[in-house]
Amino acid sequence: MEFATNLTFSAFCQQFLVGLSRTTILFIVSSGLSLVLGVLRIPNVAHGSLYMLGAFLAYSIATAFGGGSTGFWLALVLAPLCVALISLVVERGLFCRLYDREHLMLLLFTFAFMLLARDLVKLAWGSDYRSLSAPSMLQGSFSVLGMPFPRYNLFLLIIGPLVALGLWFLTNKTKIGKISRAAAVDREMVAAVGINVSWVFAFVFVIGCFLAGLGGALVAPTQNITQGMDHSLIMEAFLIVIIGGLGNMWGALLGALIFGLTDSLGILVWPQFAIVFPYVAVVIVLIFRPKGLLKATW
Amino acid sequence: MKKLSWVVLCAVLIAGLAMTGTYVQAADPIKIGIVDSYSGPPSTYTNDVRDGFKLAVDKINAKGGVLGRQITFITRDDKFKVDLGLSAAKELIMREKVDLLVGTINSAVALAVSDLAKKEKIPFLVTYSKSANITGAKGHPYVFSMNENTEMVGKGAAAALAKLPYVNYWIAGDDYEYGHAIAEGVWSNLKKLKPDVKLLGESWWKVGEPDFTPYITSILAAKPDAVIVATGGAGCVPFLKAAKATGFNERVPFFMHTATELSTLRPLGQEAPEGVMGTANYYFYYPDTPENKAFAEEFKKAYGRQPSFGSVIGWFTADFIAKAYEKAGKVDPEKFAQALSGLTIDSPIGKLTVRAVDNQVVLPLFMGKTKKAPDSDFLIATDIVTIPGEQTMPSAEDIKKAREK
Repeated sequence: MEFATNLTFSAFCQQFLVGLSRTTILFIVSSGLSLVLGVLRIPNVAHGSLYMLGAFLAYSIATAFGGGSTGFWLALVLAPLCVALISLVVERGLFCRLYDREHLMLLLFTFAFMLLARDLVKLAWGSDYRSLSAPSMLQGSFSVLGMPFPRYNLFLLIIGPLVALGLWFLTNKTKIGKISRAAAVDREMVAAVGINVSWVFAFVFVIGCFLAGLGGALVAPTQNITQGMDHSLIMEAFLIVIIGGLGNMWGALLGALIFGLTDSLGILVWPQFAIVFPYVAVVIVLIFRPKGLLKATW
Repeated sequence: MKKLSWVVLCAVLIAGLAMTGTYVQAADPIKIGIVDSYSGPPSTYTNDVRDGFKLAVDKINAKGGVLGRQITFITRDDKFKVDLGLSAAKELIMREKVDLLVGTINSAVALAVSDLAKKEKIPFLVTYSKSANITGAKGHPYVFSMNENTEMVGKGAAAALAKLPYVNYWIAGDDYEYGHAIAEGVWSNLKKLKPDVKLLGESWWKVGEPDFTPYITSILAAKPDAVIVATGGAGCVPFLKAAKATGFNERVPFFMHTATELSTLRPLGQEAPEGVMGTANYYFYYPDTPENKAFAEEFKKAYGRQPSFGSVIGWFTADFIAKAYEKAGKVDPEKFAQALSGLTIDSPIGKLTVRAVDNQVVLPLFMGKTKKAPDSDFLIATDIVTIPGEQTMPSAEDIKKAREK
């Protein structure tokens, strides 16, 4: 019907940028998921709940500090740290007792944790919609080739590569990163050379959850903070991890790019049926590369 | 030990006596069963309905109840799922032996429970579903709609939009029944009233779409005169957020049903975009009548927040129930249904009637524009135009035709 009717160069560029900024959130959240999946072998269904928790905490922290710009920046730093702290307690208290069990048990456990987190969020924050404003310097939009581009999305475009760089540094240049990569390949061998694998796992789990919380805090100013934001995201995050290659962080980046860009460009090209584009992309990838684009660590 | 058990025994006996005492005094209460979605995002609306309902019921009970009997109600959570809603309704009828059913926000649940109500001959008052089928094609003598429906919104909004100079429209909305029904309702009526309008294109997104920025930018690329946004509930808040961030409201005027409603504007605070056209059935500050003010104050005193449209629905639903029982003269499902059909009561938004033709309550619609207010934490609606309920109701012939199908 209205196929590609409004496809101009400026609209394309603009849509590309919007898609790219959305990719940022998807990448941050799914890289955390992928990390936990790759090293700990936990398909953490509760990852979305931590993302939701990050958003709610960001809201509460920002409002507690007056809701202005300072509130937002503090929330952006503190909310992911709070999520990381919660995940540390959960990992040390519960998850670490389950590593020897089979995957199904772990899956069930994270699923139970997701349901629990959902109700706890409802108890703590109630069921009203919440909204967090971006700091005034990131509000509004500026013009790119005559089309409006939100300032906050530009901010996301800067944060995304920074997080990717930080993750690369952490996994490739630090000792604990190297150990965790080794543990992903052969955890018995790592334990055999005298490294306390349990604490390595805790570290990786906390980093993964920190990323979920960071994603939640970053996304808060662009959308509704509400119950249910967890499960719309966890689906997408799993798809991204699967097409990227299970446990491969750069696969998560690639997957997020494919997912985010097909989504936003699909909306421009064929708005009536835009919903299907990212999923079609997933299907195509899986037909040709059933194990994902990059090498899975499983 | 012996002494203690003696004390406990006494306490139990006294408590038992006290309970039977009250039992003897009053007749059995009238039992109402409410099935609604109390978990997840819809609870923003359903909690308001329940609280408004409770407020009115407490008031009625304080005055001695109805026909000398108190009103009690029990709630069940349908979790926005048809099977759960239906089994909860069955349980309420069979085990709790309720006299009436009230609920729910999910149209599919409402239609399923309505079917059950028809079979069991138990009156069912639908509180927040907006499907036109409830009192239209699937209507029957035991089902009543206490809310507007998508057809009424379509007619009302089209009447207001037809007066504006826009010709080239774009339609965007939630890809499910409510979104399509609203869009279809507005568009078909607008075309009738103003035949030269043109549809440039449509965008449909999945329910719960978190970020609308890419949709908005793609619509801007098409340069329509105006946009009809058919998103409901949870979608309104993030859509308005993205509209503000992209400057959408300054570039293209857009209409969104419920955009000016309290449930949408309150969470956004000062962040909501100005100049958005939106229809709503209720504002706590409009109509500016003593009745509405009294209700808003009473609700705020009880719950510490302003009433939304859901609160008003809850309130007048309880009132309709009480008045219908008084008119019927006894607690009997058939007599109640007959009494409620065609009944008129006073409410915070003026006189309200349940139309006898289809058991649909006749509600006025208010169209306004969002604007910052100096003494309010959130935006309010200004330039409010009232579209009287009679203008938006489907005609008796249409109802007849729909039911024959």
